[in-house]
Amino acid sequence: MINFLPKQLFFFDPLAVFFLVVIGLVCVPSAIFSIGYLRAESLKRKILSWVLLIIFAFSMCSVVLSGNMLLFLICWEVMSLVSYFLVVFDFKQEKSIRAGIIYLVMTHAGTACLMAAFFILYNHAGSFDYAAVKQSFMLLTPQLRNIIFLLLFIGFATKAGVVPLHIWLPYAHPQAPAHISSIMSGVMIKVGIYGMMRFFITLLGPGPAWWGAFILALGIVSCLVGVIYALMDHDLKKLLAYHSVENIGIILLGLGTAMFFGSRGKTVVAVLAMCAGLYHLVNHALFKGLLFLCSGSVFKASGLRDMEKMGGLIKKMPMTALFFLIGAMGISALPPLNGFVSEWLTFQAFFSGVLESQGWVKIFMVLSAAALAMTSGLAAACFVKAFGISFLGSPRSVRAQDAKECGFSMKAGMALLAIPVILFGIGAGFIMPILLSISRAALGVEKADISVRLLSVLPAMIAVILLVIGSAVFLWFRFGLRNKRVSYNTWDCGYYSLDSRNEYTATAFSKPFRIAFSFFLLPYRKSEKIRDSFYHVRKFTYETHTTSVFKRFLYEPLLRLIYSTAFKMRKLQPGSIHLYIFYIFATLVGLITIAAIF
Amino acid sequence: MMLSIILSGFLVATFLLVVAKRITALIRSFRIQAIFLSLYALYMGLSQRHLEMFIVCGLIFVLKAIVIPFVLLRIIRRINVEEDLGLLVNPQLSLIIALGFTYLSYLFAHNAMALTDPVESAALAVSITVVCLGFFIMVSRMKAVAQIIGLLVMENGIFLAASAISGGMPFFVEIAFFFDIFVFVIIIEVFVYKVNRLFTHIDTSKMKSLKG
Repeated sequence: MINFLPKQLFFFDPLAVFFLVVIGLVCVPSAIFSIGYLRAESLKRKILSWVLLIIFAFSMCSVVLSGNMLLFLICWEVMSLVSYFLVVFDFKQEKSIRAGIIYLVMTHAGTACLMAAFFILYNHAGSFDYAAVKQSFMLLTPQLRNIIFLLLFIGFATKAGVVPLHIWLPYAHPQAPAHISSIMSGVMIKVGIYGMMRFFITLLGPGPAWWGAFILALGIVSCLVGVIYALMDHDLKKLLAYHSVENIGIILLGLGTAMFFGSRGKTVVAVLAMCAGLYHLVNHALFKGLLFLCSGSVFKASGLRDMEKMGGLIKKMPMTALFFLIGAMGISALPPLNGFVSEWLTFQAFFSGVLESQGWVKIFMVLSAAALAMTSGLAAACFVKAFGISFLGSPRSVRAQDAKECGFSMKAGMALLAIPVILFGIGAGFIMPILLSISRAALGVEKADISVRLLSVLPAMIAVILLVIGSAVFLWFRFGLRNKRVSYNTWDCGYYSLDSRNEYTATAFSKPFRIAFSFFLLPYRKSEKIRDSFYHVRKFTYETHTTSVFKRFLYEPLLRLIYSTAFKMRKLQPGSIHLYIFYIFATLVGLITIAAIF
Repeated sequence: MMLSIILSGFLVATFLLVVAKRITALIRSFRIQAIFLSLYALYMGLSQRHLEMFIVCGLIFVLKAIVIPFVLLRIIRRINVEEDLGLLVNPQLSLIIALGFTYLSYLFAHNAMALTDPVESAALAVSITVVCLGFFIMVSRMKAVAQIIGLLVMENGIFLAASAISGGMPFFVEIAFFFDIFVFVIIIEVFVYKVNRLFTHIDTSKMKSLKG
């Protein structure tokens, strides 16, 4: 008799509890936000939304707390399905259905890989329990271990949105209601990261060094690709979705480095890198949740998601603008806020990695650090665009003109996420020891000498310096230049009567980046003229687009292959009963022939 | 000697089925085949002195030689379709193919099973031929009646194979088989009737139009 039922149902270790805290940190504010966000919906849909939300939150909790692979898989599937229903919550829009289908296909392809890996593990361990799996994994052959690693990686990376499996994120996140996007982007994709940490580090680790290098390389690709696409996208929620790809990349940088150095026995670097990854994970959950809630607030107030039609919202919605600014500063890694701390830690991990290694590893680490630097620079540019174009300037459309500040519950939801963004930055000295002990427990390291003294004062110090300089500059401008102050219209540039049609746009802002990365973005233009005669053009349209490389060169050929194979297979089934019987007959005769001859 | 004659008769009746061009000819040939099968069961009963075999023999005779042909002929008369079976392969070619199958089955019985007794080996070869030809009738005839008969022919072949190799299946299995076959024919009768009412034909090759 096989012990099919696992002995250990739930499993509380530091890593699981950490993820539980992250889930709570994002889910509670999002739920509060949803009170205001769903005010206009009917009672039935409100109840539906709450029920789904609660199941969603609980399924995520059970995934991180489960102590065996069977429960993990069941909760994982519940999580995927419930999030699908939440994505198609606005089921009357065709876009939602389409986004839902893409999400469903991708997530199930990932789950299929997970199942394959889990059943291989079960086959060798004879049990679904983590403890048994951990013991038996060391006895497997290296090839089988690598296969399991790749299967698990594809499964978790699909959920986490790692390039090139990120394709569903920019569809599903924008279509879901704002509080759901916030939870999906803030927490659900992190559950994929949780899977990687749980399996690659605590259960199956330390694996061979190439596992870490592989994850690190994909992390680099993800963060660069994510941020470049985000720069090109002018739909606020889509932009945020691409930033999720980028930030998952940054988390993977930490995780990959931790795995890489963990397998080489350099525990100090591994703990530091793991810590950086965990810190960025909780940070991203906070500011991405916040930013999605802000985009939801803007959407509720104006019905807009396209930035080119926004503008001047800071005057209509000052609180939302403030929260968005805090989130944007956090995600751009500006010093006193939380994003800075975690990216700084990631850099620290890279630099100590450089010191601890020789040869090509040194070069690899330096290149990773360079990629991270470029990513944060581009992210900052992207959020200058996002904040500047949507909130500053003057309104570009009637809807933006008529926007009103959101209600109390929505503000409260955003505030509950904005305050931790600041606290996790300034209070890094208190957070770090906790994360260090979690990382040590996860990596199984007894002791790692890492000083957090600099970190405990650095952000606070920078905050004080910024405050002093900022107030000095403000006072100087306010009182020192009194006689030279002249008031013009917003973004008037000293001209008279420029209106919003003359304003700087998101497309214009991102043009230099479009040119700089044209080798990857493959931009193209489309112009159309409708003329009455050669001399008189009645209408002229001009569009620029960028090509989605992964869609065009990876997914579309794949889909074409599937479709063409399916059409060829269809010829086998023309609907003739005689042919169907003939298939059986031919098989039988074939078998008899083979048996007769041999 | 007696067994060889019965087996030959069985095989010839199957060839008759293969070359039949009209529905009634097909059903009558099936009746002949069923009579030879019941004779085979009778011979087995006599030689092995099994009471069960006599019951099986009686059932075969009543069910397959009398009831089923009667039911099928009645439905043909009732729906009043034309006699032509709609051959996808003409009788001459069918016969050549049937001979090919016979040779193949003989090879199979000879090589794959390696039975010591030549008569048993021949019985196995005949039974496999019959199964193949039942299939062949189903594939190469258009009217639905041919598919029914083809299936019944295959069932006869399987019965012969079972008794040739292992001296017959357990009695209750046989009884269950007969019951199955009987119910099958009754259902199919109703079905054919309905199909004819709805589509005004029982031509299975025209069922392609049902495909979406």
